[in-house]
Amino acid sequence: MNWLREIARRLGMLVHRRQFDADLEEEMQLHLELRQQEHLESGMTADSARAAARRQFGNVTSLREKSHVAWGWEWFENLLQDMSYGLRMLRKNPGFTSVAVLTLALGIGANTAIFSVINGVLLNPLPYKNPQQLVVMRENDSLPNVMDIQRQARAFSEGGGINVQRMDYTGGTEPVQVRTGLVDAGFLETLGVQPMLGRIISLVEDTKGGPRLAVASYSFWQNFLGSDPHAVGKAIPLGGNTYTVIGVMPASFAPPAEHADLFVSIWAGDPGAAAQRDVHFMHTYWRLQIGVALAQAQAEMAAIDHRLAEQYPAEEKERKTQLVPLQEWLIGDVRSALLVLFGAVGLVLLIACANFASLLMAREVARHQELVIRSALGAGRGRLIRKTLTESALLSVLGGAAGLLLAQWGTRMLLALRPENLARLSGIHMDTRVLLFALLISVLTGVVFGMAPAWVAARGGVAEALNENGRRTTASAMGHRVRKILVTSELALALVLLVGAGLLIKGFSRLRSTNPGFNPANVMTMYLQLPPTRYREIPKQTQFRRELLARLNSLPGLQAAMVTDIPLGGNYVGHAFVIDGRPPVAVGGEPDVQTLSVMGDYFRVMQIPLRAGRDFTSLDRENQPLVAIVNEQMVRQFFPHENPIGARIHWARETEPFQWMTLIGVVGDVKHSGLDQPVDPAVYTTFPQSDEIWRSFMTLAIRTRDMSPGLVEEAKKQVWSLDSRIPVSDVNTMDQLMAVSLA
Amino acid sequence: MHRDEIPAGTLYLLILKTLARSGELHGYEIANSIQRISEDVLQVEEGSLYPALQRMLIKRWVTAKWGTTAGNRRARYYQLTAAGRKQLAVEMSQFERVIGAVTRVIEAV
Repeated sequence: MNWLREIARRLGMLVHRRQFDADLEEEMQLHLELRQQEHLESGMTADSARAAARRQFGNVTSLREKSHVAWGWEWFENLLQDMSYGLRMLRKNPGFTSVAVLTLALGIGANTAIFSVINGVLLNPLPYKNPQQLVVMRENDSLPNVMDIQRQARAFSEGGGINVQRMDYTGGTEPVQVRTGLVDAGFLETLGVQPMLGRIISLVEDTKGGPRLAVASYSFWQNFLGSDPHAVGKAIPLGGNTYTVIGVMPASFAPPAEHADLFVSIWAGDPGAAAQRDVHFMHTYWRLQIGVALAQAQAEMAAIDHRLAEQYPAEEKERKTQLVPLQEWLIGDVRSALLVLFGAVGLVLLIACANFASLLMAREVARHQELVIRSALGAGRGRLIRKTLTESALLSVLGGAAGLLLAQWGTRMLLALRPENLARLSGIHMDTRVLLFALLISVLTGVVFGMAPAWVAARGGVAEALNENGRRTTASAMGHRVRKILVTSELALALVLLVGAGLLIKGFSRLRSTNPGFNPANVMTMYLQLPPTRYREIPKQTQFRRELLARLNSLPGLQAAMVTDIPLGGNYVGHAFVIDGRPPVAVGGEPDVQTLSVMGDYFRVMQIPLRAGRDFTSLDRENQPLVAIVNEQMVRQFFPHENPIGARIHWARETEPFQWMTLIGVVGDVKHSGLDQPVDPAVYTTFPQSDEIWRSFMTLAIRTRDMSPGLVEEAKKQVWSLDSRIPVSDVNTMDQLMAVSLA
Repeated sequence: MHRDEIPAGTLYLLILKTLARSGELHGYEIANSIQRISEDVLQVEEGSLYPALQRMLIKRWVTAKWGTTAGNRRARYYQLTAAGRKQLAVEMSQFERVIGAVTRVIEAV
């Protein structure tokens, strides 16, 4: 326990430093006075008595220091001294200080911001119970299949799925659409997060005809339930029905990949789809039984897939379920992107450090004379190096603090961009690990990059340096060499960064100059969903659409049309189809195309060029021959050697008699799924000729001469003048959608 | 009068021996005592007593407490501990061994 006593003693010494100094002072003073007294008594004059006593005693200051050394705290005292000296120097040179601090702040800030993202996304465990046991199925599945797997698979202790649908919420001031997670009872159970209030949906309630229950997310609870601690039991109007809130999830909870405001049972939210084995719309998460390896689970799933395919040949012909660990699935290719980014900001930090070292070096050369005098007065080289290092460490810690502020701001900026493929945004924030990281790189920067200047400064002999002619000697020559190395490596680093940035920008500008296939300038878009409960028939939907377009187009200075899914909006529906007169294709093997319904001069509004044939007219309506327009990609892929105009197609799902559609025109290709994505073959039809009641949604595209801010409000007013309970969402300009697609 | 610097490494020995002989002394008395007994031959750089005393305090060879001098001044009095006594024996035997060796070397024919 000797070291314990040693520590206690040293600490005691540190606390009682003042007392110690006073005691020593008094003791020495007494000695001097007694000796002086003795000399006086032997007949010396007062002056010579004092001088003699002092001579005999020795150098008081140095003795005092030696006594301090004995107690083992001289390094601390030196540090304090160096720090106060360093601070004084920094205050005296505000220009130098601010340049150095700013340089480091940029480097450290960028690194800390990226590190906090890496920390949140790669390093922190997922916010679920035992997240390492969670796996995800790459393919979506249907509720009946999920239930079969839950019953049969032994590799999983639990599992469940979710499908997010927009549902109307009419309990607020404006009707809005909320993202509703349609889940089975297993979903929240599997993720294993306890609700903050109330409870989650139980197995017995999750059944056909079960009660309409809702579990709110924290944000829904805040925004729509007024953060009411007694929200449990409240009735809310959702999707035309009334649901009872039974629980509220904590703020930290979000589904791994989905965005959901509310969770309801699939049986309550979409009973039609719930019962269908071939509606593969649930994204499912599973928890591996303890001790079960992924390969084992995968093998069992293959067996289950096989069984299901045999049992339900019509619906489940080609099952090939792939399991992926949740963490891996979420992070995916973001990992390498983040690490590359981290490398890049690391280079930025290195450059900042090299700059910092050069700055220090330049100043040390300027202060050379001062250092020489110090060492002439007896300062050891070690002590001089320590002093310079303390100064650079002070600077770098200041830089680190400024960098931290910068990082906080930078992280917020990063998050504001909402990178879509960064699944774990909510996990990103400054925590202890990030702070430690910032502190570590600050101190390391200061010490490592302050070392060279300090060493160079402390080199060189006193004698030759004191000589005015000797100023340009070893020290400055050394400094010269080190500075050359610094500048060269800085240039090399900058070059690497420049090349990297150049490549990025080239890719970006190529994307930027990509023709999207339409003119995005001055187009406002918004998404409408007709409540299926009140717009159950196509004619009723058509009547609403026709009336809305008429009202909007009567406003001056604008032209409005609608489409099911707007380009770059992230959605489209695909249909399998059959071409008239071609050799028959096996059922289920028909090619897929993007299908979009339009109304009201859509191609003119979006300025999508007509390449052949004719555009839709107002005569292409209900009870008229069915017509369709295709894009050029469709022609290239399916009509390479013939004129598509006049050809006939029908959707593969239909049973006889086939609803033949005649192709009447060809329009230019549109980058529907993203500027960097290939164009899919597409078929456009008109809304009034659609027979799909579920397609009760639409996206308005409104082209104006100038984007006035009142436009959105005016459009909403027109919608609500027709039906005040229709939610309007996803209000964007086409330029905004372009920007998101570029990011 | 010529005064000799004390041989290196013997300061502890001198202080320990002085305290062993006289019991409780303050710094000035230790310095005087060493000078007097050595008949003014051994000259301590008087101030160097104090860092040495600090080191001895840390090693617990001596203890210190504040008292009053004859002239009614506050002074720190040092006293040998058991460990100090043991250390004195160690230093003595070391010193004698060195002196013996040196003597043999210079008296060798």
